[in-house]
Amino acid sequence: MAEEHLDDVYRYLLYVTGNPHLAEDLAAETFERALRRWRRFDPRRGSPRTWLCQLARSTALDHFRAEQRRRRREESYAVEESPSEEPVFGEGLSPALETAVQSLSAAEREVVVLRIVLELDGETTASVLGIRPTAVSTRLSRALQKLQERMVDDVPA
Amino acid sequence: MSQPEFDVMLLELRAKAPRAPETLRERVQALPEPVPRGFRLRLRPALAAAAAIAVALGVGAAVVGGLGGSSSRETAREGEAKMLNALPAQAERRPRTLAPLPNTPNVPFQSELAPGSRLQHYDVSMQARVDDLSGATKRAVRTTRKLGGYVAAADYSTDRTTGDSTLDLRVPVQHVQQAIASFTELGTILSQRIALTDLQASVDRIRERVAEFRDRIAKLEAKRRTIGLTPEEQGELAGLKRNVRRLTGSQRTLVRSATYAEVQLLLTTRKVAPKHVAPGRFDRFRDNAGDILGKEAIAVLYALVVAGPFVLLAALALLAERARRRRADSRLLEETG
Repeated sequence: MAEEHLDDVYRYLLYVTGNPHLAEDLAAETFERALRRWRRFDPRRGSPRTWLCQLARSTALDHFRAEQRRRRREESYAVEESPSEEPVFGEGLSPALETAVQSLSAAEREVVVLRIVLELDGETTASVLGIRPTAVSTRLSRALQKLQERMVDDVPA
Repeated sequence: MSQPEFDVMLLELRAKAPRAPETLRERVQALPEPVPRGFRLRLRPALAAAAAIAVALGVGAAVVGGLGGSSSRETAREGEAKMLNALPAQAERRPRTLAPLPNTPNVPFQSELAPGSRLQHYDVSMQARVDDLSGATKRAVRTTRKLGGYVAAADYSTDRTTGDSTLDLRVPVQHVQQAIASFTELGTILSQRIALTDLQASVDRIRERVAEFRDRIAKLEAKRRTIGLTPEEQGELAGLKRNVRRLTGSQRTLVRSATYAEVQLLLTTRKVAPKHVAPGRFDRFRDNAGDILGKEAIAVLYALVVAGPFVLLAALALLAERARRRRADSRLLEETG
């Protein structure tokens, strides 16, 4: 199961974090959690892929919360990671699209990766995000509109 | 951006989607095997099972309680019957009386109560529901007269919807069986009571006393005719004659009483109120089980009323916390670039 859904979990976490190293760590942690909580998995409530995405989201949120607390403690986020020159969201992705995806927020990238890249349906995406399917549609529509605008802005006149 | 360009963008996102690095694959493959899935108590099925067990226990308690209650009442009823059976002496002291026979329509008069050679007093009371009050009253009077009896008293009253006729009849004892049989055909018998008192012993005692007095009177009369009586003997003779007259009168009264049976006949057009029937075993079981179920329902309702607001508040607090956490997560992801 891990082998089968490894790419999906990694892609999801990569889109949410925008950081390949962090995504790798969080993916490994997600699978650790999955193995520990395997007894809790209920196939009637969703597929293993959906369950793993939920776990990955929970893992990512835990990381973001911890990071937020750390930043508050240190009162400033002094060391901003410099954006990598290498493509993050896919090998061979056009630089314009790479930049446009990078410019989205984690919440926007999250819905894009679930609906567009992983091709989950609206119900499953809503189940992963813990929102209603209509809210998924709205969020996806806004994210894609923003992506289009950024792409148009990046096109040289 | 045109629609084809937009579609190309989406295709590119899918086609160029990143793959998990080999280092991650190795890390994941190095993870231990998951624990085999065994039995795990799930909240919702557990709650459903607990609710089903609680309902089953409640119904079971009602059934057991219902059965226990009905059998204990049965035992009490049997005990009461035994106690009543153990008291025959009191009943034997009373005159020979038949118990009333409610709702026994057209019960034939018991042949063993028919008058024989002994002097006996009959007191009959009958109540019958009739449709034609006037016709039934006339037939009763006609029957009484035909049998050699007479009407001692009569009370006939009607209003718009109902009517009653009370007849106090005297029927020759030798025809009382025939009279009762005839009266039972007037309508539906609602109650019937026949009391029989034996007068023979009293009459025999009076006869013996009268015979004694007459012997003494004859002796005193013979003495009076031969040697004459002393003043005391004259007083005794007069007293004996008075006693003989008094006893003879009593005897006549008793004999007359044994000649005519007193028949109280009440005819009515009123509908009889439905008689309260003692509940059967199943009815008692149903009542007891219903009582217990009702008490259980009250207890559950009470618990719901008392605990309901707290449970509701807790549920609302839980929902509010989940919504707050969801909003916080969304904000966190929005803020994360």
